[in-house]
Amino acid sequence: MGRIIRYLRILSLLIRTGLMQQMAYRPHFFAMFAGKVIRIVLLLLFFQAVFVKVDRIGSWSYDQVLLLFATFHVVDFLMSITFHRNLAFYLPQKVHSGDFDARMLLPVNLLFLSSLERIEMIDLASFIPTLGFLGYVLVRLEFAFTGSQFLVYLVLLANALLFLFAAVLAIASLSFWTTQSGGMARIFDSLLKVGRYPIEIFEGYWRSVFLYILPLVLIAQLPSEALLGILSARAVLIATAATGLLLVLALLLWRAGLKQYQSASS
Amino acid sequence: MIPMIKYWHVVRLVIQERMAYRANLFLEVFGGILASVIVVVLWTAIFRGAGTDLVGGYSLPEMVTYLLGAGLINSFILTTAEYPEASQAIQGGDLSGVLMRPMSPHLYWFARDLGNKGFFLMLGFSGYLAVLVFFRDFLLPPPGPGHLLLFLVSVGLAAVVQFFVFQVLGLLSFWMENTYGIRFAARVVMEVVAGAIIPLSFFPRILHDLFLLLPFPLMIYLPMRIYLGKIPLEQVPFELWKGVIWILCLVLLYRLLWVKGIRQYVSMGD
Repeated sequence: MGRIIRYLRILSLLIRTGLMQQMAYRPHFFAMFAGKVIRIVLLLLFFQAVFVKVDRIGSWSYDQVLLLFATFHVVDFLMSITFHRNLAFYLPQKVHSGDFDARMLLPVNLLFLSSLERIEMIDLASFIPTLGFLGYVLVRLEFAFTGSQFLVYLVLLANALLFLFAAVLAIASLSFWTTQSGGMARIFDSLLKVGRYPIEIFEGYWRSVFLYILPLVLIAQLPSEALLGILSARAVLIATAATGLLLVLALLLWRAGLKQYQSASS
Repeated sequence: MIPMIKYWHVVRLVIQERMAYRANLFLEVFGGILASVIVVVLWTAIFRGAGTDLVGGYSLPEMVTYLLGAGLINSFILTTAEYPEASQAIQGGDLSGVLMRPMSPHLYWFARDLGNKGFFLMLGFSGYLAVLVFFRDFLLPPPGPGHLLLFLVSVGLAAVVQFFVFQVLGLLSFWMENTYGIRFAARVVMEVVAGAIIPLSFFPRILHDLFLLLPFPLMIYLPMRIYLGKIPLEQVPFELWKGVIWILCLVLLYRLLWVKGIRQYVSMGD
């Protein structure tokens, strides 16, 4: 228990220092916030523009696509606020420069620190309108779901976040061998965008890839289907098992990477 | 003519710098190509579901050609928005060194931007070749050599417009400690308003007209409409003149900000 409290205190400290760092340039902070909100509004306009011309994308109606889109961005923001940049970009930079040495000496779990060293307060601020947008979509859907469907939705959101953590950790761990993995992280970011569209848009082997090999349906489609009441219990079990497996693999890769790490600093 | 040779060396040097990290940068460009292919797949599904040959006045081959062309332009024009040399020089104090050199800082930055764009064009083109081969059955040629020529001119204008938009925003560093947020917001708007993920004619009329008042549609929407022959050939020069007028306005604004900013510039750093 004492250990948990200690880590919560450290997290609170990281949040405060993050806020101080990022609020140091107020116009920058608010411009970034505005940019992130504008991006979502413009993408929403994109979907609106598409649905003026067609009734459905695959079997998904406008409201269902909006739910998928809002869910994707909720997960995306939660990832951005916490571990995404820390692992995908800052960790490889530290490994490349040798700054990672100093982190190894600190009396704190290295994976915890590497994942949460910089809490993105700009994304946290932008997360609030995104939650508002999700609320708007739920109103459009007239809250036509049961309590248990909503609970499964929340469980699958957490599962999506764990899945992404494992995937990003695995990519970041490669930097212990290559000292650069920013390009791989960029490719992963682009691939992630698949998650905001219904998987039905893909046909043939591409659909198999995004279902079984790189199951990006886990991010937003499965939680959305759970809320819409069209997801089987079997799919929930497979989704959590796939995440568990990837997480174990990512942790093994992280440990192997740490053993491989050779300081690059002078 | 000879004094201009030094700027050509700047272009070459930038390409050499980028070549040092070519693998990582290729992966970045490859990420952009993937994003572009995902949008093409989405539109293919939309056409499949619509059950008609035309959606929003575009056939499927026109849409695929539009989106892949937009992606290719995106790979070297929009990607280079990440390299704000002027902004970094002002914030970091490196501007002092730039001013000491026997060359115009403006042409120096322009040459560096040209080098960056040239490098990303080479990377983007090599990456897109495989994609273009994959979608070859959907790709349309321009209606004639005139359209192709004017398309290339419009892409050149697009590159200059993009450079000056971000230079103007970068010069705000004379007054602000960090301009990344503003440039980020501009880039976000640019990605959609330039027409990178959807032709602007899909948007409601009021938004479409509003977007056309900005310089961003010159970057992708205009070149791709010229390529596809969506604008009558005789009307194209008029559209290109709009681009020239935008460039002149941006140059004037840039000049104004530079003159005012340089007076209060304080060299920072070692």
